Amino acid sequence: MEFDVEVKLAVYRHFAETGRRPSLMETAERVGSDVANVLDAYQRLRAQRLLVLEADGSSIRMASPFSGIPTQHVVEADGIQYFANCAWDALGVLAALHKPGTIHSRCAQSGEPLHLQVDLQGPMPSDWLFHCLVPAARWWDDIVFT
Amino acid sequence: MLFFRSEEQVREWCTTHDSPMRPLVNMSQLWKLATTWYSTRLLENSRRPKPDEMKEIFAGLGLEGEFWDPTSDRFG
Repeated sequence: MEFDVEVKLAVYRHFAETGRRPSLMETAERVGSDVANVLDAYQRLRAQRLLVLEADGSSIRMASPFSGIPTQHVVEADGIQYFANCAWDALGVLAALHKPGTIHSRCAQSGEPLHLQVDLQGPMPSDWLFHCLVPAARWWDDIVFT
Repeated sequence: MLFFRSEEQVREWCTTHDSPMRPLVNMSQLWKLATTWYSTRLLENSRRPKPDEMKEIFAGLGLEGEFWDPTSDRFG
């Protein structure tokens, strides 16, 4: 397997297994390489828009649908708590895991809590809505804002 | 990319933030987007949809028009 793919899978599987971002060292251990090689791979994965890094260039801010930092979109599955980058990614976490779970979030205007049960076929009937402010062609101008 | 309880809440949020109201997406459509984007994300051969593929995916869900057209995105 290509090294960058190994690194990508190591990052995503760490998120899936723990709900948290891996440190650079943890990723290096998973792929049996050193941190310098992993850091180089991170930069290439960033260029492919598979990772978004913090300003330090090594901490993972986003490995969509997973968030490397706490957000208002919390997903619970199999006793593990995940943070998602946005409403779309909250459903995306369960789609990526192929597991049922619950999304805990809130209405962005009123603050009313959302607790959305999702099984393998999708969310339970719900009249909540999703709204995206940024047009599709501009999402990656500032993906954290999007 | 946020959740809202109702269309009225979206309208209020857009007014508060002096922002235009965009097309609304229901939970069934959002699930379809989530599975299309992410169901293979933990697999070796996963990849992001390219802009022309994205446009087709959106259109298949009834999400059409300039807002959902990513083809001016130079990536991919």
